[in-house]
Amino acid sequence: MSALWALALAPLPLAGAVLLKRAWDNPGPQRPWLILGGWSLLILALAASVPLMGPLRGPCAILAVGSTAILAFVAAGVERRNARKKAARELAPEPSDRRRVAWRGWLRGFLAGPLAGVAALGCGLAVAICAPGQIQTRMVIGGLIVPFLWAGGMAWTLSDDKILRAFAVLASVATLTLGAAFLKGAL
Amino acid sequence: MDASPDKIAPKKSRALGKPIWPKVPADFVRAMLAGHSALGLAFAALIYLVCFSGSVAVFTQEFSRWEQPQGPVLQEVSPQAVDVAVQGALAKIPQAHDLLVRLPTPDHPRLSIHGDDAAGGEHTYVADHAGRLVGEARTPWTQFQAELHTVLHLPRAWGGFVVGLTGVALLSSLISGVLSHPRVLKDAFAFRWGGSKRLQEADLHNRISVWGLPFHLVVSLTGAFLGLTTIIVGVLALATFKGDASKAYALFQGPTVKDDPRPAAKVIDVRSGLDAVAARSPDARATYIYVEHPGERGQHAIINLATDGRLSRGETVVVDGAGQILGEVGYESGSLGFRVLSAMTPLHFGWFGGWPVKVAYFLLGLGLTAVISSGVAIWLARRRDKGRPAPGLERLWVAFVWSQPLAYAFSALVVFLSATPVPIGAWAMATLAACASSAVGTPSGISTALRRTTAGLLALVALAHTALYAPAMADALGWLIDAALLVAALGLALTTVSPRSTSDHASCPMDHAQAPRFDDR
Repeated sequence: MSALWALALAPLPLAGAVLLKRAWDNPGPQRPWLILGGWSLLILALAASVPLMGPLRGPCAILAVGSTAILAFVAAGVERRNARKKAARELAPEPSDRRRVAWRGWLRGFLAGPLAGVAALGCGLAVAICAPGQIQTRMVIGGLIVPFLWAGGMAWTLSDDKILRAFAVLASVATLTLGAAFLKGAL
Repeated sequence: MDASPDKIAPKKSRALGKPIWPKVPADFVRAMLAGHSALGLAFAALIYLVCFSGSVAVFTQEFSRWEQPQGPVLQEVSPQAVDVAVQGALAKIPQAHDLLVRLPTPDHPRLSIHGDDAAGGEHTYVADHAGRLVGEARTPWTQFQAELHTVLHLPRAWGGFVVGLTGVALLSSLISGVLSHPRVLKDAFAFRWGGSKRLQEADLHNRISVWGLPFHLVVSLTGAFLGLTTIIVGVLALATFKGDASKAYALFQGPTVKDDPRPAAKVIDVRSGLDAVAARSPDARATYIYVEHPGERGQHAIINLATDGRLSRGETVVVDGAGQILGEVGYESGSLGFRVLSAMTPLHFGWFGGWPVKVAYFLLGLGLTAVISSGVAIWLARRRDKGRPAPGLERLWVAFVWSQPLAYAFSALVVFLSATPVPIGAWAMATLAACASSAVGTPSGISTALRRTTAGLLALVALAHTALYAPAMADALGWLIDAALLVAALGLALTTVSPRSTSDHASCPMDHAQAPRFDDR
């Protein structure tokens, strides 16, 4: 039965999305209240799931089921347009136009891949080895921050036009963290 | 995510008042978009493959039941029956180094015992309520699809690394996507279909990305962690255990039993072990047991206990050959690290909230494949807008996108029709054939042909399964999945006969490269 609570609570985030959509559709004096009500319902659904489904399980289940319900709601509000009608002038931001230089491309790939990965591994190792707390907790938290930092480093190096700056920062972080981890070298 | 063009309702946007979101410099957004685009394109095919296979893998337990629908279907089983089943398996595989016993659970109501014989052959026996072995289970397609997601059928260490790296790339795309989308709240409900190709794709891409963001973050982070575990632990072991990774893993394995290969006076008593853990944890139910070194003096069992209402893969208790509890690992009672680790797998696959969460994970996973597909479509449309169309790539991408449903259906059909099925071979062949179809025709023609073929294959799979198992379909889930496949086939076929498929619109959310020629350039 406890699994079905996710379905029973799904109307709450859905109703929250409906209120937010109304605020989005019709700007007026009620708009702040609609936004407040919408977000309150989303938070209420998460809070209500805790006693019903468990402290971590409930919010995770509501996030999954609620996201699906809201996406269905957004899809239901699709606005169909005439494909043959000429669109207005494009106002969307364009990706920055970089000079196409082979060595910069390879260097950027090296930074985003191996170097950002080594730097992230170094940070994870430093947490696992040097941070206070129980061994297993340090290892798991250190392990979890590796993909997160690697992804962040990847996003940064691929976006930053100043690749030598990115190289210097990543190389320094990798050297410092791996050095600290291997110097301490014991759990 | 792509920054959404704001050209349809400028008056409405102005009427909304000043944004509460801080103003993001345009150069920053453009730089982020460049990085987002480069990363997405470099990993598009891999991310798509991993996400599609992951969406299917959510139902791994259900597919396993579907492949062996004859049962026996058991809601629960007595410790004595488990012991009988273990003894029966040991009689068939006397040299077994270890056995994996899966006990009935709501997701998988079967009692099965898996072991390797002396020649290295793998056997999985299924048992009835009394523990009698009544047959050998064969689930080649379920194993195929699970391994395609977890290791891409590469050697385990390499496959895990590639999948983990794909998770990192997806996570990185999420970060750069959010940062390059300054109108994330303002455009939260804008979903426009038709008209400008890029606007349509950007709306689809951004709406699914934004509302599915919690799911996307969770699956990419946990997936990357699970995939990169080998390399993370390897480097950790290098720094702290002189390269001995087993010492790092031992920190998460609980009480150890000394290896003693001398023959034991009595084969391990699984019943006593189960009774002991049931007395100790009356609210928990045993889900699986590893019987290690049966028949040796060092024999012991590792029993996994799941408790309802917890987001955890369960607690692990170690019992000795006489059924005495030696201790537990601490996945549910230990430190934060243990509890986080035990939540990773269920959180990644959606195995924690029953069928509602599984269905949500499946749909959100398919949504993620649409995000990836539309991301490439945006890039292709942008090229076309700038007068640098890539028609070959447009055809190849749409062929690759639709190759996976087709290849999955084809591999399942081969499994049911062949006496010695090799699903990975069938999948690879179908994928290559579908991609080769991009050599001729238009993107929309390729898409329509592949969708129709997939629909036909899905229907054939359901019919073949029904024909093979209808007389002995003890598990009702078999009928349910066959019906779902037929509905999916019908739905897919309908997308190809819809009047819109011949009009100016892309007719299917995943079909993004089919209509560039109708762009409003």
